[in-house]
Formats: sequence, structure tokens, C-alpha cells
Amino acid sequence: MSPTRSDHDTVRTIEAQELPTRFARGWHCLGLSERFGDGRPHKVRAFGRDLVVFRGGDGNLNVLDAHCRHMGGNLAEGTVKGNEIACPFHDWRWGGDGRCKQIPYSRRVPLRARTAAWTALDQDGLLFVWNDPEGKPPPEEVAIPRIEGAGREDWTGWYWNELVVDANCREVVDNVVDMAHFFYVHYSFPTYFKNVFEGHVATQYMNGVGREDVQPPSTSGSPKMLGNTSVASYYGPSFMVDDLTYHYEGMDVESVLINCHYPVDADRFVLQYGVIVRRGEGLEGEAADETAAQMAGYIAKGFEQDIEIWQSKARIDNPLLCEEDGPVYQLRRWYEQFYVDADEVTPEMVDRFEFELDTTRPVEAWRAEVESNLAQRAAESGTV
Amino acid sequence: MVRTDERLIDGAPMQPVRCLRCSATVQARKASWQQTSLQWNAEAAGACEERPAERGERFEACGALRDSVRAAAVEGSLEVPEA
Repeated sequence: MSPTRSDHDTVRTIEAQELPTRFARGWHCLGLSERFGDGRPHKVRAFGRDLVVFRGGDGNLNVLDAHCRHMGGNLAEGTVKGNEIACPFHDWRWGGDGRCKQIPYSRRVPLRARTAAWTALDQDGLLFVWNDPEGKPPPEEVAIPRIEGAGREDWTGWYWNELVVDANCREVVDNVVDMAHFFYVHYSFPTYFKNVFEGHVATQYMNGVGREDVQPPSTSGSPKMLGNTSVASYYGPSFMVDDLTYHYEGMDVESVLINCHYPVDADRFVLQYGVIVRRGEGLEGEAADETAAQMAGYIAKGFEQDIEIWQSKARIDNPLLCEEDGPVYQLRRWYEQFYVDADEVTPEMVDRFEFELDTTRPVEAWRAEVESNLAQRAAESGTV
Repeated sequence: MVRTDERLIDGAPMQPVRCLRCSATVQARKASWQQTSLQWNAEAAGACEERPAERGERFEACGALRDSVRAAAVEGSLEVPEA
């Protein structure tokens, strides 16, 4: 019997519009503030432009367009003098507010001597910059939430790293809803998965269990990892806070994982991640730092796995989904709010949406795969 | 451009469900007994008695709405496709 030909037999094509020409409105983390705090200018390429970040004598971190409005010199190659950045070309002095404060060889500063100053925020050891193509200041309600454990003695400091990715940053945001890739790309095993989008926040609730087929057999004495609980929210387009707890036999390890990025250009972004771990019983002193460093290592590996996929995948605006996939379209609808003017944000982009995934079938299939991998491993080690 | 999730066209549609506690109506969909999609609007969010007042605070689910959706599925007013 030959199948009946219908619309559903036509070949599915991958659709992708041009990359967006604007960069998302929102707070973007540029990295650890201490990295920028040495009194020297730092060059950052972000939002398709060159920026200079410097800490003035007053202790404030400032972010300006890198190119001097006088003759185009690059301020990132200049020198911090007092509270100002001095251009290496003619020593024009620019303040953190974007105004030229002084031209040592001139009696007065010309009118119009103002460059782009980016609203910056130094919070919890991290430097944030506000991007808005409309040039408006950041509304209070999209403020980056404080991270409770950051800077506290009963938590470790940040273990922070960054990677440059040659892809549009939508790829990393898609991970919010992509449960299945956590099994296939990252070798984890989700058992519960839910998304909630509301306002400028997109959250992923995910619980998982350890995978015996990818873990080295546990050494005697070290506690067995039972599973993990993760609640991860994007606050705006680029900054995700993940309250991540690993459950071990007899103890929990609490951590906060940051997954954030800023666009360099339309087809490149800087992906950053950082982790802090709570010190506690069974995890005092250096043990917590070792755990945090180890976690940072795992996260690095995880992102390298993502990057390998991203570098060869196609951008796809019309993903073909099965019912056990997450809400990719609704996530992108939420994400769209950051790419339109503030007064063009529609209710559908920000109204609360919930999606709880049915993990019954995935868990069955993955259990079987883990079993089969273990059996294969046993057979191979038996024949050696 | 915002596109439509084709699963809503090819599979079960979104259907209204009224919360038995606050009477707000949301759009709900079940692709199976264990899967649920809920589309709220501003009115429903305003009416919800469990939703935290503070914006941005995490809120995984409204228990009363979950119970209401379950009841709608059991009584058949919310369609659940056969496995």
C-alpha cells in the first residue's frame, strides 16, 4: 500500500531570516568587575561597536564608546588620568558621563563634546552594561536581582570564565527550553522539566539524576551523586541565574551558576559563566573551592559541547518539534520583546506562559539507553 | 517575527479553562496526561490569588489552577489526546 500524498508529504524546508540588525535591549554582564578595576582602560567589543571600560580615581567603573569624538583615537589605548580617560592621540579627557572635561592644550572644550556613555552597574562582583537601541535609561523593574551568596564568607568567590562563540546569541538562549539536548549533548538525565515565561523573566525548572554510563565508577569513600535540582532564570535577554543543588548521599551542595553573554556582532557573542558554592558541613574551607573549581570545569566542558553543535548547525526559525520538545516558539516570542522598541512590546510577548513537559517517554527511552551502554561497557571490559 | 507553534495546529489546540478558585480564564492545552501548556493573560494574572505580588519573583505554578486543569481534563471539557 502506498501512502497517500498530502501536504504533509512535502519536503520540510529550513527557514531563517537575516540576522537581527539590532542588539537586545537589556542589561548585559561584561564579566567580573575586578578584571576592569586596575586603573587601566579595557577594550571591549560589544553590540557591534568598540567600548572602553575603566575605573576612575573615584572608584567608579565607566563604559564609553572607545573612539574619541575629536579625531577618532581609541580611548582603550589611552590612559586613566584622575576620573577621566585620556585619549592617546591628543590627550582629550573624557569623563564617565560621556562629557569631555578638559583639553589640556585648549582654552575651552568645544560645544557638542559629548560621547556615548553606557549606563553601568557594578553589583555582586560583576560589571553590567545597559543596552537600549532607543537610548532610554533602564527601567527599575528589569533590574538584575542581587545574588544572595555573592561576596559572602559562607560562599566561595566566583569561578568565572568566558568563551567567544561564532554564532548568533539566540542559540544559547534556545537552551532554556531544550530538554532533550541535555541528555544527548551534555550527558545529563533530566526527569522533570518545566518552563515559565513572564514579563522579562524566562525560567527553566529542571530536576535530573546522575548517569551511571558516563560517570567513572565512584571511588570508595566519595559520596554517590543522586541527582540535581536546578531553577534557572533569564532576567532579560542575556543574564541567567541558576540556583543549582547537587544531591549526594547524605548531603546537598548548593551553588549559584551564572550563564550570561553579550553580543560582539550579529554573528558572534561572548559566552560567560561563573559559579559560587556554599560552604557548609562536609564542604568547609578549600573543599568548597575545589568543588566550585571542579564545577566550573564541568560547565566549561558543557559549553564546549554546545559550541561544537552551534558551529555546524543551521540557524532555524521554524524548528520542527515533537510533543516531547519544549516551547521553542513561545520562548522566541518572549525573546522578541528585547528586539522591538519598548512601546512595541505586545502582551503575548510578556504574558505568563507555562509549559510542563511530559518526561515519561524520554525517561523510558533514556533509561534503556543507559542500561544498554552499561551492558556494552560490561561486555567490553569482560572480553579484555 | 513571531511564528506559531505548529503543534497547536497539528495536535491538540489551546482551550479555555476557568480557575475554580479565582474564576480567571486561561488557555490550556494537554498533549498528554502529563504535559500541560498554560497561556495566561494580564487579567488572569491579576486575578490569581497565589501569584506573588512582587514582579520577577519566581512562581512555578498556581496550585488552584493546576487542580482546575486536572479537573477539566478528567471531566473531558479539556481534551487529552489518546496516547
